[in-house]
Amino acid sequence: MSTELAFHGIGLSKIYQTGETQVHALRGADIEIPSGELLVLLGPSGSGKSTLLNIIGGLDRPTSGELYYRNIDLVALDERQLTRFRRANIGFIFQFYNLIPSLTAKENVHLVTDIAENPMDAMEALELVGLKDRADHYPAQLSGGEQQRVAVARAVAKQPGVLLCDEPTGALDSETGKRVLETLAMANRELGTTVVIITHNVGIAAMAHRVLNFLDGRIARVETNDTPIEPREISW
Amino acid sequence: MLDLKLLRDLWRMRGQALAIALVLAAATSTFILSMGVSRSLAETRDAYYARNHFADVFVEMTRAPRSVVDRVAAIDGVQHVEGRIQQYASLDMPGRIIPVRALINSIDDQGHNRLNLVTLRKGRLPQEGAPQEVVADESFAEANGLGIGDEVSALIYGSRQSLRIVGIGLSPDFIYALPPGALVPDNTRFGIFWMGEEALEAATDRKEAINALSLTLQRGVSEAEVIRKVDQIVAPFGGTGAYGREDHISNAFVANELMQLDAMTQVIPPVFLIVATFLVYIVLGRLIRTERTQIGLIKAFGYSDWAIAAHYLKFALSVAALATVAGALAGIWMGQAMTRLYLEFFRFPFLEYRVSGSVFLGAAALSFGAAGLGALGGMRAAARLQPAVAMAPPPPPIYRSGMLERFGTWAGFTATGHMIARHIARWPLRSAITVLGVSLSLALLFATLQFLDSSRTMLDSYFFRAQRQDITVTFTEPRNEDVLFELEQLPGVLRAEPVRGAPVKLSFTNRTERTAIESTSEDAVLSARIDANGNALGLPPAGLMLSSRLADKLGVSTGDKVHVELLGGKQTELDMTVAGIVDEFVGERAYATQGVLERLTRDASPVGAALLRTDPAQRDRILTELKDMPLVLGVTEREASMERFEELIDDNINTMLFFYIAFASAIAVGVVYNSARILFSERAHELATLRVLGYFRSEVGIVLLGELALLVVAAVPLGCILGYWLAQFMTAMFASDLFRLPFAPARSTYGVASLVVMAAASITAVGVALRVAKLDMVRVLKAQE
Repeated sequence: MSTELAFHGIGLSKIYQTGETQVHALRGADIEIPSGELLVLLGPSGSGKSTLLNIIGGLDRPTSGELYYRNIDLVALDERQLTRFRRANIGFIFQFYNLIPSLTAKENVHLVTDIAENPMDAMEALELVGLKDRADHYPAQLSGGEQQRVAVARAVAKQPGVLLCDEPTGALDSETGKRVLETLAMANRELGTTVVIITHNVGIAAMAHRVLNFLDGRIARVETNDTPIEPREISW
Repeated sequence: MLDLKLLRDLWRMRGQALAIALVLAAATSTFILSMGVSRSLAETRDAYYARNHFADVFVEMTRAPRSVVDRVAAIDGVQHVEGRIQQYASLDMPGRIIPVRALINSIDDQGHNRLNLVTLRKGRLPQEGAPQEVVADESFAEANGLGIGDEVSALIYGSRQSLRIVGIGLSPDFIYALPPGALVPDNTRFGIFWMGEEALEAATDRKEAINALSLTLQRGVSEAEVIRKVDQIVAPFGGTGAYGREDHISNAFVANELMQLDAMTQVIPPVFLIVATFLVYIVLGRLIRTERTQIGLIKAFGYSDWAIAAHYLKFALSVAALATVAGALAGIWMGQAMTRLYLEFFRFPFLEYRVSGSVFLGAAALSFGAAGLGALGGMRAAARLQPAVAMAPPPPPIYRSGMLERFGTWAGFTATGHMIARHIARWPLRSAITVLGVSLSLALLFATLQFLDSSRTMLDSYFFRAQRQDITVTFTEPRNEDVLFELEQLPGVLRAEPVRGAPVKLSFTNRTERTAIESTSEDAVLSARIDANGNALGLPPAGLMLSSRLADKLGVSTGDKVHVELLGGKQTELDMTVAGIVDEFVGERAYATQGVLERLTRDASPVGAALLRTDPAQRDRILTELKDMPLVLGVTEREASMERFEELIDDNINTMLFFYIAFASAIAVGVVYNSARILFSERAHELATLRVLGYFRSEVGIVLLGELALLVVAAVPLGCILGYWLAQFMTAMFASDLFRLPFAPARSTYGVASLVVMAAASITAVGVALRVAKLDMVRVLKAQE
């Protein structure tokens, strides 16, 4: 883990206007995420962690505040530039996998390698998550854990600077969940990828370098973990 | 409660509902248009015929004593008989160089006519003892700016006479007034006049004589039998063969129009109905899939299967109701436009576009029927859903590699390419419906555009290849050869060729047809017989050449012997061999060389008309000279006839063309819009995923548009093939005794039809694809599909 910052945000806030009510999803968060860090975001539903993840991933824009990825001013980017930023730097993993049902595992990975600048081979990415032999299966033919691992393979195949994971194990049992976390930890360790994981599962915090605790749209507490454990040792 | 949901569903899906309604409205409007116009025309015609006592049987003769009327009246089954004089005259319109002809009909000075009555629009009938008084037909008077009190100078039977117009009128035997030998009416060059009997007798030197008979029949009498007896009576007076309404030229043109309208009713609305049925089917199918959970919930509340099914049926029927109202309004509007167009060449005292309740009911039944039929599949699916099953999420769609992918080398295929290909394969029926719908739209447009090509081919064949003369001169009565020399003496006349003709009755087995044998000199260059392929056919040295329509009606083929009976004077009969058949577009005629014709007429057959090739620079001078020649009855300029024909095509077809481009586009828009919306709703999740992965909006749009584009492109060749068949079918349906349209689609027509449909499809698809910009990536990804 280097000391260079992947993300640097100051006073990030997000207000959603739904009908006549305003929802303050994020109320002035300051963040610094060093490159190569494995960061876990904890907090109850609606505490702002997903909003922050979407903003740093370029899916959403802050209502106010400053945000930099390395030295790119993300707030200043237009729609097309934001898309290009995601394409080049960000790998997403979601709770419900979001694989394309009409594409096989390998083709789902191809979706990303088709457009990435410096992708790894699709089969190599699948091998990384232990699914080389399932490459030609469609999502409907894979278990939930396998599907999520394909999603991880799809995310890491472009060799992104950052992996953003929103409840990656939320729909999985403990065994498969750990398996998925192992691949994330491996990407962080071996590829130097910055990994941000949102979870409700407090146990997962033990594998992080740092944990941000969210409450009411603010970062309530920051914990630093000097001795992160291996995912398989996590008590689920 | 469910009805409230219905209203909200309709509002939420208003775009798709409107797109279906558009196609259904096209069906109802074309139905109401063609059926309404057809009924209005038929009812108007029938009322006009009844009110003005249009005769049932007609015959023309050279000259017969008035007493022939009583002899014909004595035939069993004849109700009324009336004799009259019909005489062509050439008119000298002040300041006009173009030749104008009129057909003058005698009428009873006392107003005692009982058949083919004149309806007076203005003025009065000619009075006894005022020989110069005439009634002029309304369209001619209007076209030439003539009114009551105006005088025209006429050359009748060789002597010049001044006629004073005392009335403007029309009659049921001249609804469609064609100058002899013409294809389309020309109100500026040809008119109908009515003149007192005594005056016309005097002017044509036919004291107590007539040259035409009209008669009505008693109910249930065999027309053929009466015709046979009439022919026997009038034969010695040069009778050219009696004929019924079916062969009456004006009536035949009206009947031809009705036949075409009915053909339209049978072909065009069904195309729209088929497409609309399929659209309802796919849209409701999709709606029910997305509302699966709701359906389960509603059923769990205790609503019956039937209540659910009825709910979705109501959705379809609401769309049909909207379409029926919109279609009816559009149909009435178009019907009125078309009726106005008809009044330009059909001369009716009144022609109102009226749509009867039954036509509306028929249109509504078709619209509701198509929507209901389309809804059946969805209704059944909704009714069959078990609540417990329905409330669980649907099983994920199973995709497989398509056959194409397995066989071909798809190395170059991107992942998004696979997405497109597999989605098409996953929903084969819906994809097929999209392809079929777009191809039907193309087919319909092609078939209508083809009529333009068809008319142009006909124009080319008839006016350029078959006729090569500049001017046709007809004579007051048949002449001998000398007349040609006389014409050739005129300055500017480069060549004069005779046209000879003899009215005949041809019989083969038990079939009989009345026609004329036409002959030109052996070295003729100004006329030719052109077949459907554009080839000029020479006359056989012996025997007859028949037009294919005539041969079909007689049931003869080359080599058969037909019985030929000469009409109009000498009553010779002869068996002649059919030596050739020419596939012509216009009319049903027989041709023979002069030698063959003379075997029948037993002497030099007279010259009925002359074809002239002239020096264009001398045109005005020639026309002026011809106008002053007493033997000249009429002068037709090929150029003018052609222009008139083109005008008619332009008026008629261009109006229709506008409608049909709109209609064909309606189908394409309706089909593509619905496919695109369904596709978009099914793929919103996947498209959002692609956006998250870093695909640009344009790239994501391509996934959506790519599928539609593939389907539309697949529809193009299919549409061309279907269009070819449809056009061929419609051309065959439109063929009549009068003429048939050639089936001759130009290559560019395939292109134009394809481009119009692709443009309509593209604009629609791109419109839907713009929604990609509004995709909410975050919200979509939060939800489990």
